[in-house]
Amino acid sequence: MKTSIKLFLLGALVLALAVGIGTAIAKENSAPAEAASPIHPTFALLDADGKHVLESGQPISTMQTCGQCHDADYIVSHSYHADLGLSDYKETDDSWNTSNGLFGKFDPIANRYLSQKNDSLLDLTTPDWLMTFGWRVPGGGPAVNSRSGQPLVSLKPSAENPEASAYDAASDSYQAWDWKKSGVIEMNCFLCHTANPNNDVRVEVIAKGEFGWANTATLLGSGIVLRTTTEWVYNEKAFDADGELLADYVQLQEPTNGNCASCHGEIHEETTPLTLDACDATQTQTATTGQVVSSQKISESGINLADKANKPYAWDVHAERALKCTDCHYSLNNPSHALDEKAANPDHLTYDPRKLEIGEYLEKPNHNFTRGASAQFTVAPELKATMRRCESCHDTQAAHAGWLPYNERHMQVVACESCHIPQMYAPAYASVDWTAIRLDGSAKTECRGITGTNTITDLVSGYQPVLMQRDNLDGTTSLAPYNLVTTFFWTYDDADGNARPVRRADLEAAYLASGAYAADVLSAFDADADGQLSDAELALDTDAKQALIAGKLEALGLKNVKIYGQVQPYSINHNVAEGSYATNECATCHDENSRVTEPLPLTDNAPLGVTPEFVSDTNVSFTGSIENRDGALVYLPANEKDNIYIFGHNRITWIDWFGALAFVGTIFGVGGHGTMRYLAARKHKKGHTETRRVYMYESYERFWHWLQVVAIVMLLLTGLVIHRPDMFGAFSFRNVVIVHNVLAALLAINAALSLFWHLVSGEIRQYIPHPRGFIEDAITQGLFYIKGIFKHEKHPFDKTKDGKLNPLQKVTYFGLLNVLLPLQGLTGILMWLVQKVPAIQTTLGGLPFLAPFHTLTAWLFAAFIVGHVYLTTTAGPKPLDGIQAMVTGWEDMEVHEYSDQRTVISDQ
Amino acid sequence: MKKTRSLWTLGLAAILLVIILPLAIFWPKNAEAADNPWDNVPRHPTHVSHADIIEGEFATGQDVTRACLECHPDAGSEMMVTTHFTWESKEFDVPWRDEPVTIGKANQINNFCIGTQGNERTCMTCHVGYGLDDKDTYEFNNPENVDCLACHADTSTYAKSNFGNPAKGIDLLAAARSVRAPTRDNCGKCHFDGGGGNGVKHGDLDESLYFPADNLDVHMGKLDFLCTDCHRTEEHVVKGRMIADNYTIDPAEQVACTDCHAQKPHEDERVNLHTDAVACQTCHIPEIATKDPTKVSWDWSTAGDDRGDDHFTYLKIKGSFVYERNYRPEYLWFNGNNSYRYLLGDKIDPLKPTYINLPAGSINDPNAKIFPFKLHVAKQPYDTANNYLLQPRTSGENGFWTTFDWLSALTLGSQDTGLEFSGQYGFAETWMYWPTTHMVQPAEYALQCDACHSDNGRLDWEALGYPGDPIEWGGR
Repeated sequence: MKTSIKLFLLGALVLALAVGIGTAIAKENSAPAEAASPIHPTFALLDADGKHVLESGQPISTMQTCGQCHDADYIVSHSYHADLGLSDYKETDDSWNTSNGLFGKFDPIANRYLSQKNDSLLDLTTPDWLMTFGWRVPGGGPAVNSRSGQPLVSLKPSAENPEASAYDAASDSYQAWDWKKSGVIEMNCFLCHTANPNNDVRVEVIAKGEFGWANTATLLGSGIVLRTTTEWVYNEKAFDADGELLADYVQLQEPTNGNCASCHGEIHEETTPLTLDACDATQTQTATTGQVVSSQKISESGINLADKANKPYAWDVHAERALKCTDCHYSLNNPSHALDEKAANPDHLTYDPRKLEIGEYLEKPNHNFTRGASAQFTVAPELKATMRRCESCHDTQAAHAGWLPYNERHMQVVACESCHIPQMYAPAYASVDWTAIRLDGSAKTECRGITGTNTITDLVSGYQPVLMQRDNLDGTTSLAPYNLVTTFFWTYDDADGNARPVRRADLEAAYLASGAYAADVLSAFDADADGQLSDAELALDTDAKQALIAGKLEALGLKNVKIYGQVQPYSINHNVAEGSYATNECATCHDENSRVTEPLPLTDNAPLGVTPEFVSDTNVSFTGSIENRDGALVYLPANEKDNIYIFGHNRITWIDWFGALAFVGTIFGVGGHGTMRYLAARKHKKGHTETRRVYMYESYERFWHWLQVVAIVMLLLTGLVIHRPDMFGAFSFRNVVIVHNVLAALLAINAALSLFWHLVSGEIRQYIPHPRGFIEDAITQGLFYIKGIFKHEKHPFDKTKDGKLNPLQKVTYFGLLNVLLPLQGLTGILMWLVQKVPAIQTTLGGLPFLAPFHTLTAWLFAAFIVGHVYLTTTAGPKPLDGIQAMVTGWEDMEVHEYSDQRTVISDQ
Repeated sequence: MKKTRSLWTLGLAAILLVIILPLAIFWPKNAEAADNPWDNVPRHPTHVSHADIIEGEFATGQDVTRACLECHPDAGSEMMVTTHFTWESKEFDVPWRDEPVTIGKANQINNFCIGTQGNERTCMTCHVGYGLDDKDTYEFNNPENVDCLACHADTSTYAKSNFGNPAKGIDLLAAARSVRAPTRDNCGKCHFDGGGGNGVKHGDLDESLYFPADNLDVHMGKLDFLCTDCHRTEEHVVKGRMIADNYTIDPAEQVACTDCHAQKPHEDERVNLHTDAVACQTCHIPEIATKDPTKVSWDWSTAGDDRGDDHFTYLKIKGSFVYERNYRPEYLWFNGNNSYRYLLGDKIDPLKPTYINLPAGSINDPNAKIFPFKLHVAKQPYDTANNYLLQPRTSGENGFWTTFDWLSALTLGSQDTGLEFSGQYGFAETWMYWPTTHMVQPAEYALQCDACHSDNGRLDWEALGYPGDPIEWGGR
């Protein structure tokens, strides 16, 4: 009985324990409730007048609301996202670009531009610009202030003022715009700082011109604000008695990747298979470059990508490694990132403790974010390259240690992206041609990396970015990957003679008539006479078509219409592949067909006679050329014009021809000479030559000679492989480079030691020609080779241990050892040193000079060796006597009456 | 002359040395993995064909075993001590019982077909013995009862049936002549179909492993492993223990990735740091049941209905199910043992899930690592008066599968188990955790950082005992 009670108690205890643990673990299965902001305090929502929105019913003013605690003025004035080029705005007659940002810089992909005050024909007024590009405008800047810095609401509505008027479709005219009525778009804190901003409704509201409500609309769905068919209503239940938002409704956070994605491009964080629309202009970064930020493996995406199964790696390794946009693009005064910016400290301080406290930062967070040095974003140039680059986080030395020869040199020349973003897997714009428009008014666009338009059903192949030289802010240059987007559009001269792009409205007037193509356009363009114009037909590929459209545009009152084409590079910095999928084959670049000069198609069908110009406001050097291949344009990079020499790819043709000629010529020369000697020897049946054995070469002489032989021959061979890897694909380029370097060092050491030996032993004297009678002696020796040798004459000069060299040899070695070898060594050393002393690249001609020079001397060396080896066969009575002497030290010498008596006579 | 020759050969050697030595020093060194897992993979000797060795006529399975024992006299006694034959663990002292207990299919329940007692006719189809109809009377010490063919015969020649006896019509001579070392087919016959069908019990062991694609299981697919390459066998004791039918497990009896792989095999030191707290399986088995779905829920309470059978959702004899493909495991701290294993007669709280087993371990347990589990949730009958789970007679004579009457099935079941039945029953939720350790993916499909260290990562850090994501708050 007692035992059973004990048992029961124990059982109950265990049960309780088990259940306890059970419930603790069971919790894990229940989805956690949507967490409210754990830190951000509650606050009241205020309108522009500082009144509570519950009382006024007016739009939320972020400046008033967030400005209760944060320094809203500071934030807006320190944000290029707000500014968008407004501070750089300048009216100009001779350009259609009025600023360096979205507000004022012509976007030829959209083909809309901001009209200037004196433009005779208006395209986008400020309200029109907001309605068109507002989806990319986070507010503040030009959405609040006029071009001269006045509040927009202070502008008097005027149909004449491109800042206070808007196009009215109904009347097809520009009407006065009342900013007080429409409101302005204050900087939209919610768009970036709430978890689920309602971007769709925000965009919809902006497009309707209801600017004042844009920020409030962003909160639709949060439960704070509701929309009826006619008005916006605040939810009283979201506020406490004091009018402060209840904690559950405070969903503020630091910006996530999703927030950035609202405007910047495709960011996919869900587990559902990733799909996207090809060249969707609303995904700006993705459409222009093919960049997709997602941790999803490419193989698991929903895109019909060629060879997808063999791409089991993430679209973007940094996304996979749990980095967020803000980890690299952080606020300039964010203490958690700025702290370890050693470069920002005075030289004598490794750490400056006088930084912002977190509270101070939260009051005045600088909304200028660190940024790279992209070619396409020109706003706020003073902030370019403020962000950390790859090498700020990654130790490139350690990362490439052990397998990448000339690591430092590669880092000097090649941006990390060039190898680590080997391929783009999403389609991107190739060209946008506004010279002819589709029936829906859109431009004819070509998308690279896809055959067709649908990424799910059509085959996506992706594309390889073109490598171009980027000018870095620190004065260095790097080869970096780019997409090139070519755009074509008509321009005209307005009444004042100022060139402006032809407006889309005028294009439509020229091409279309009541919803269809105008009859004359159709008859001129419709090659297959099917009554419709395909993209292929929509090409201004004949003078007649161009003349027709130009005439129609001029009939609209436009003067001097011309087609203009431009090429805009788009930087590619995201979509870094996991390390093992980066380019790691030397032959990718160091080969006849080099990745570095891989051509990039620009467009399949360019307007006749138009060669697009490269935009001038980038940090990219366009050293390549545009080739027209039957109307298709291709960009051909030319790396040699960028002061880059790529071993195995670059070479100077005449040097190779000259060198090969010298080499082959020598072979033929000695071959002919040898044949003649052979024939002569048969004719002059020679009798027995009296010989004696002489100890000619010390063992050290032989040692250094043969060591040098092996080193030089292998250097020539490995050098040849490095020079022409396309001919010697069997060899590992990387290993051959290492062998070449090691042998070069060996040769140099051997040469130095041998020089030392020659100096100390005095043997050096043998190499120095004696001026007196030298020329006569040389002629004598030369005549021997030309004539005497065939007549089986004796050598004019006896070879002795202390006088091994005949006069011709002396002069040859004098040149070889004093000119050729030092030049070869020096150029080689300098080439090696470029990685350590980059100045060599800029001051001594760099690799483009040194490498071909090294090649030339190598050819001469090779030619010398042929001659040298051949001449050894003339040394003794028998052809191999000379070589045998260099092996054994003993040489069989002809006995001459003037023979030097100091030579040691052999026992034999 | 001889002297000169030796001198120049010496010189040649010296020159070669002078060249080769620096080259060797500067030759690029590939960071070859120090360990080679293949060193630890057993080689299989060619098995002697028994086609010409085995003679005679076999009327029963026992006849075959007798023939086997003639040449392999120890095989029977070796087999008889294995859990494959006893279906019962060694004795454990558990804190909630006074007496030592054993755990196994022979005497305990799970939350699939619940229990074998009284249901031997079908359950023993997978027993590696002949004629087990009652564990209390069965001759567990008769070596002739061992079924050699189950593991050694070509499965195309042999099949088991009622009470583990050979199926009708089997040519036992042909089966006996086909014997060889066990293949996937032998193991798979029972282990792929455990719980009553393909992929029911384990999500990581199912019939897709007979002919697995490369990516389904890197060992059995891409590398064509046999089960016995990892589950190495000595004296018929197969290495590897199933925690579900044990309380604690001696690590020496367990199969571990480190049997072949290094403890820290990754190139990236950050990844290697993980191995202190994260089991290999956690990252390398992102999902199980990637081809065939696995049963994740089984509700016995709806059984007996004539609504119409569907293999994946409802069977009259078994109730309703949920199957899932690409099952994403649950993650718990696990030190290789159970902290609790339900024993017949243990009281339950019917309002809360009852653990059939609960893996042991916590963030404070240095031997525990975060480990992936398949969680199988069932609703099974219990005695509402006594508050313990009941084992029904199902496939046995006049069991539920014949009568569809729970009361009689539970009454008969209580006779089989000896557990008192009050006559009142209900259905309670039971949870059972199954460690996932097969279906290891090729390395490139292993989980990456963001799978756990992100806003929507798959680990619930707080539930695991961390103050937050250890990438930010530090590990244990």
